[in-house]
Amino acid sequence: MIIAERKPIEEILGLLSRHQKVLVLGCGGCVTVCLAGGEKEVGILSSQLAMARSKEERPLEVVQQTVERQCDFEYLEGIRHIVKDVDAILSLACGIGIQTCAEAFPDKIVWPGVNTKFLGVNLNVGEWAERCQACGQCVLDKTGGICPVARCSKSIFNGPCGGSQDGKCEVSPDTDCAWALIHDRLTRLGEVDSLREIMPVKDWSYSRDGGPRKLVREDLELESGK
Amino acid sequence: MSANTNFQPKIIVFACENSGWLASEHAAELALSYPEKVELIKIPCSGKIDVLFFMKALEKADGTIVMACQKENCKFIKGNIRAAQRVKQTENLLKEIGVEPERVGIHYLAANMGQKFVEIVQNFYDKIRELGPNPGKVIK
Repeated sequence: MIIAERKPIEEILGLLSRHQKVLVLGCGGCVTVCLAGGEKEVGILSSQLAMARSKEERPLEVVQQTVERQCDFEYLEGIRHIVKDVDAILSLACGIGIQTCAEAFPDKIVWPGVNTKFLGVNLNVGEWAERCQACGQCVLDKTGGICPVARCSKSIFNGPCGGSQDGKCEVSPDTDCAWALIHDRLTRLGEVDSLREIMPVKDWSYSRDGGPRKLVREDLELESGK
Repeated sequence: MSANTNFQPKIIVFACENSGWLASEHAAELALSYPEKVELIKIPCSGKIDVLFFMKALEKADGTIVMACQKENCKFIKGNIRAAQRVKQTENLLKEIGVEPERVGIHYLAANMGQKFVEIVQNFYDKIRELGPNPGKVIK
């Protein structure tokens, strides 16, 4: 899922400083699961904002709403009547949701309420780790299900490098060496010999190096339009 | 001491139905009284308390506490531990916006502690009275 973290309250208060009525808009998708921008976080942040502004004697009217997913235009259609009555929207969705919101409501200011961090997994309560960089050309079949792009600090393809020691990465003792993990797992599976195959240079044009990406599947199109 | 000596704080008490709530009933049986502007809300376990409940309470109150079972005596094992954690989280949220973290708290007691219940409520009431009105109160 997409992992996000709420922006510091001072930053959010700064963004909203000139508004009198805002919509704090949550998302029922990834940010709900990672406890950054779901219905509960909308409620807590709204309270904080209203209290902070009340303290300054500049009341802020906060409207709260959470949609199923902010990254789908159809869910945003359902709140158009709410949006028209507010000065601005504070979106607690990931960067995708925030941009979809801005696109759906072109005449309304949309502020980001979270910092989108990475694509990752929940390891423990309050602990998440990166697992995918959406590079566009998955190599997990060759690496025992452990991604060298996202989990190796250097994203190297024929590791480990010289900075790997005792299964840890030289970048941080808290970071596992992805290639040590790959080697250990393939050994456990009896497939370690597959690492003798040299991986070719990766074609990064499928990743960000090819510019903003777009996927079109004509087989799914029913009619023209959005 | 608050400048306004007439200030009567509004307090919201979340009471676990296995301890705090029963203690309040025990206090009533003993005909013990506590300040009028104290609102009691029964919750099924102190672990049900949430940061959101505290924050919503503080939108209209001057202080809020949760009454939980004695340590290591929660019917649901970890409810009072979780409640304490949520009090800490709420304190941090209040600090972030410059509201005194003392406006939220947790107290532990047993069902047969009517006297203790009244003491806790009265002490918290007096503490908030000294602190003055909640500067972040939204519903005045």
